[in-house]
Amino acid sequence: MLSFIIKRIGLAAVITALAVTALFLIIHMIPGDPVSTMLGPRATPEMRTALEERMGLDRPLIVQIALFFGNMLRGDLGMDVFSNRPVTQIVLGQVPYTLGLILVSISWAAVLGVALGCYSAVNRNSLGDRLTGVLSVSVIAVPAFVVALYSLLVFAVKLQWFPAIGAGEAGNLGDQLHHLVLPSLAIGLSWVGYIARLVRASMLEVLGEGHIRTARAFGLPEGRVVFGYALRLAILPTVTVIGVGMGFLLSAAVFTEIVFSRPGLGKLVIDSITTRNYPVVMGSVLFSTLIFVVSTTLADIINAILDPRIRAGK
Amino acid sequence: MNRPTIAWTRVGLPRRSFLKGATALGGLAATGLMLPRAAHAAGGTLKTRTYADIRSMDPAFSQGVVDEEIQAAIYNKLIQYKPGREWGWELDAAAMVEQADDTHINFALRDDIGFTNGFGAMTAEDVKFSFERIIDDALESTNKPDWGPLDHVEVTGERTGTIVLKNAFQPLWSITLPYIAGNIVSKAAFESVGGKIDTQPVATSGPYLHAGWEPKQKTTLKRNPDWKGEAVAFDEIQIFHIDDEKAAEIAFEAGEIDFTRVSLDSVERLKSNPIQGATLDEYPSLYYVWVGMNLDNPKLANLKLRQAIQYAIDVPSIMAAAYFGAAEPSTGIIAPGLPGHRDASLTGVNADLEKAQALMAESGESGVSLAIDILNKSANVTAAQIIQANLAAIGITLEIRLHEGATFWELGSNEDLELVLNRFSMTPDPYYATSWFIAEQAGIWNWERFRNDEFDAIHLAAQSEADQAKRAEMYARAQDLMEESGAYKFLTHEATPVIYRNSVIPALRPDGLPLYRYFGAA
Repeated sequence: MLSFIIKRIGLAAVITALAVTALFLIIHMIPGDPVSTMLGPRATPEMRTALEERMGLDRPLIVQIALFFGNMLRGDLGMDVFSNRPVTQIVLGQVPYTLGLILVSISWAAVLGVALGCYSAVNRNSLGDRLTGVLSVSVIAVPAFVVALYSLLVFAVKLQWFPAIGAGEAGNLGDQLHHLVLPSLAIGLSWVGYIARLVRASMLEVLGEGHIRTARAFGLPEGRVVFGYALRLAILPTVTVIGVGMGFLLSAAVFTEIVFSRPGLGKLVIDSITTRNYPVVMGSVLFSTLIFVVSTTLADIINAILDPRIRAGK
Repeated sequence: MNRPTIAWTRVGLPRRSFLKGATALGGLAATGLMLPRAAHAAGGTLKTRTYADIRSMDPAFSQGVVDEEIQAAIYNKLIQYKPGREWGWELDAAAMVEQADDTHINFALRDDIGFTNGFGAMTAEDVKFSFERIIDDALESTNKPDWGPLDHVEVTGERTGTIVLKNAFQPLWSITLPYIAGNIVSKAAFESVGGKIDTQPVATSGPYLHAGWEPKQKTTLKRNPDWKGEAVAFDEIQIFHIDDEKAAEIAFEAGEIDFTRVSLDSVERLKSNPIQGATLDEYPSLYYVWVGMNLDNPKLANLKLRQAIQYAIDVPSIMAAAYFGAAEPSTGIIAPGLPGHRDASLTGVNADLEKAQALMAESGESGVSLAIDILNKSANVTAAQIIQANLAAIGITLEIRLHEGATFWELGSNEDLELVLNRFSMTPDPYYATSWFIAEQAGIWNWERFRNDEFDAIHLAAQSEADQAKRAEMYARAQDLMEESGAYKFLTHEATPVIYRNSVIPALRPDGLPLYRYFGAA
């Protein structure tokens, strides 16, 4: 198991390095001059030159990449040229908002999705199964931003049950959770349907396998058969999908953060790309990549724990 | 929050009367002081919205209204903009300010203003430090141009001094002293942190304290308990960062903010279906939007062709479709209410198709195909589509090229630029508008590469002209020259519709931007 984990972490490091290099090149190749954007219309040529030097933009791209990685390994992502604050501090200040949003969204979606999937599989072709199927497909088809807008209009404007903007008072967990309800509903809703369909399909496959029939033949309680044996295997594709789906969750978070005016990595990336604030863009991209790579690696490790065949490489 | 330790001392003020014909704005100040202000109720929280996050709380590096909205509440200036529908200013930290002659402005500070965090009373040394640091090349302040020909500030007493200019500079009264570059900071506080700050003020003096900043979320201001000036209305002001106007409108309707600018396309809806307990107000904006033509591009070298384009564009159609009837056509780059605003443009606002076609025939051009570059905003796209249809009527094919922000603002250096739909921000002095169109700016911010010696001479002379009527004439002539070049078709100054709860008495500049220190509670 340990060698499996070490291999996966090594692979994750390589993926991170490649992804960050590619994104660095893409960001620096798109047109737009960060110096003009940052200094505004009244900067003198001397100011422009000084800023270019300070940002390292006067150096060859390959040198800029090498410097970025060198500094990154020392935990230094540079300084935000606008506010003169460390990029690491800026990005780390936003990560908890995005991470919290994603985790809450996927958690409630997974709990509900798995429950609905199990119910549908156990009660195959029943009215409840059919209803669940229709609802699941319906919510899968609705984009997160549509859910966000309508939930705002209904629950924030009309009923005024939940707040429309922001992330809540710092240090007030209750207020922060209150502010998370609508955004996590927007992101998580389509995942409920997706997970429900996935779990149903997996469960039906597993429930038809020999070891389940054997368990039933031995007279084990149905609950233990379903949740103790069948679900343990049927959940594997769901864990993988959630891990890989972290990329989709991040992109959904971008829309949601903008619609709900929440702080977070998505909003930070959009703002910094618009202003060509390279250090902040790279810092945000690095952390987004890390979230993605860590979640897929974790999914692999969880799968390996649940299924010994995976860690044995079979 | 540390309480300020201030040595309160009184100073004898010069007995000379207030202002000796400084500017028209200066003249308004006297009446401004007489205007009644709404009674401020004590307490409560004002929740409002800003469209971007702050960049700097250092007046030397702030770049616009987002920072200044906060700075105007936490710092003091010698004079502040006066809320209302007409541009003017009123005294703030100054008990007296007067233009002694073209190049000398005397001031005396109030004796009851102190800095927080134990940095003592505000003195003339602080004023000297605040203004001179901005023109210090070593600091590399992007706001240096606001101080124009400032030579130095002479300290004549503990709270008295003289601003000494190299030459007369009228914008001093309209865009320097009452705006970003006019904020007075504590010399001792700034020196204690190495001479400049970023987003965290080290000491403030205004009626509100900077109580917190949550990046990408909100800034919180709190009542300054040691403020001795006119009492402010709110215990706390929360300024939420909401980029999108539609999101801000939803937040307002949800009862989460008390004041916000709204989008132009919402004005009609909010008028016909008003929100209970709220008021919608429309203010003119100072921004200016125009279609520019690159004079250095051979495809646009023909004056008659450019004039044909000027006459073919139907501005009212653009106002109706792109601005939903909530903005008025403009006559130039200087908005109504500012010296130099023209009552009418030379080419009119309605399309004159006959004249345009005649000019097209005179030009001898046929099968003309041009491109217009625009920023990817919906109003621009609609406006460009109307211009495309207008030009098709005189036989010109127009391609629309969309750009995102950072790419668009790089186009100025593109020599092949043809037409461009542009929009510049503006401060309340015509000097600021003309400064982008002088020959020196060609290829930088003068994207049309308009070069005119008379225009440049007017720009230089008008900034020093004390006679307001003459100054207005000069700027009107400058805009005539721009239009006569055929390189410009002026479209609009846009508008600033705002909505606020009836429990709030907003205090806004004439262009609709908030002055939070003056906001009241109904």
